[in-house]
Amino acid sequence: MKLLTHNLLSSHVRGVGPRGFPLRLQATEVRVNPVEFNPDFVARMIPKVEWAALLEAADTLNLAEVPREPTEGYEHDEDFLRKMHHVLLEVEVLEGTLQCPESGRLFPISRGIPNMLLNDEETET
Amino acid sequence: MVRRKPVNLPPISYMKTYMKAKMYTVLCSAAMKECDNLKIDESEIGCDYSKTLVDICRERQFQAFVCDALAVPVRSGSCDACISIAVIHHFATAERRVAALQEIVRLLRPGGKALIYVWAMEQEHNNQKSKYLKENRISQEQKEEIKNDKSTPGLVEQKSDTGSQNSASSVPSIDDIQEKESSSKPITNSELPIHINRTSFHSQDVLVPWHLKTKTGKDKPVEPFGSAGARDQSPVFHRYYHVFCDGELEAACQTLSNVSVLQSYHDQGNWCVILQKV
Repeated sequence: MKLLTHNLLSSHVRGVGPRGFPLRLQATEVRVNPVEFNPDFVARMIPKVEWAALLEAADTLNLAEVPREPTEGYEHDEDFLRKMHHVLLEVEVLEGTLQCPESGRLFPISRGIPNMLLNDEETET
Repeated sequence: MVRRKPVNLPPISYMKTYMKAKMYTVLCSAAMKECDNLKIDESEIGCDYSKTLVDICRERQFQAFVCDALAVPVRSGSCDACISIAVIHHFATAERRVAALQEIVRLLRPGGKALIYVWAMEQEHNNQKSKYLKENRISQEQKEEIKNDKSTPGLVEQKSDTGSQNSASSVPSIDDIQEKESSSKPITNSELPIHINRTSFHSQDVLVPWHLKTKTGKDKPVEPFGSAGARDQSPVFHRYYHVFCDGELEAACQTLSNVSVLQSYHDQGNWCVILQKV
């Protein structure tokens, strides 16, 4: 699970609604994979990123040099874009958990795959 | 009814062209393995109920997670596009099918689009048989044998090519499988007909037999189907489908107030819709 993916994931436990985001990340195994840098792609993703969630996850993983916010004219700031590229796409959580901030429910991440299935009692009707 | 085929473009290519125009986060439900050539960039994320299928996605370098299509764990309005292929026809009630559509629409940002494919009851359209019907390898003789052989209703050594080549999310235990194979009684208490693969649908709600191909060793010859005394060794799963009628998918989409159906068409034995969240 890359941090770009984590930035989308939200708990669907019944009654939790938007308070199910962001999921609290805990990682026991992390891998860094080089990914081809595409500055246009990264620039287009920036407006979509929920920054607080990204920073929280990056801090949990002790990532260095994580921009705290988009810089002015970030679209042309290669240094900024490369750092964001690294944070969003090159760091992968292989083993760990995601925790619903509202209910405390834990979702496992195994072999890079979050399993977000809920029991019947937990799902929204 | 809106009926316009994408001009000269197969529908998935159409969605991809649309997506290339802007930056998108895409959620692909099911059949990710069929989307091998569709990945444009890192913004594509897939999900499925089946862990095994999601594993395959991972092997192919997609980001993917396991979830229920009725409770997708993604924040609302975060996706520019969604693709749902061969998913919604597995839900057993009209309410659940609409609920699955609602989830897709919830994920979309306003203006976002979704491409939805479901299996069609009408496998023949405009006098053209679908690939599914055309690839019928069973001879007429064998069809007769199937009808007369009460112990193996609907068992056919063929695979469905509608993205069903994955193990079911609830796999019967070995005991269950053995019990089924040793029973010579037809399934009489089931209200759902068991479909004969590669033939037309006679009912909208069916169980489609799916053969899990097991790897047979050299010392285990594969018996030709239909020969006397032969019994298929590989497990058969009966997978539930609600095949859609002409107009049914579109009508289901129209029940949602924040949806505009952009295109609605038939494609190789599937009913398809491209919708937009308003």
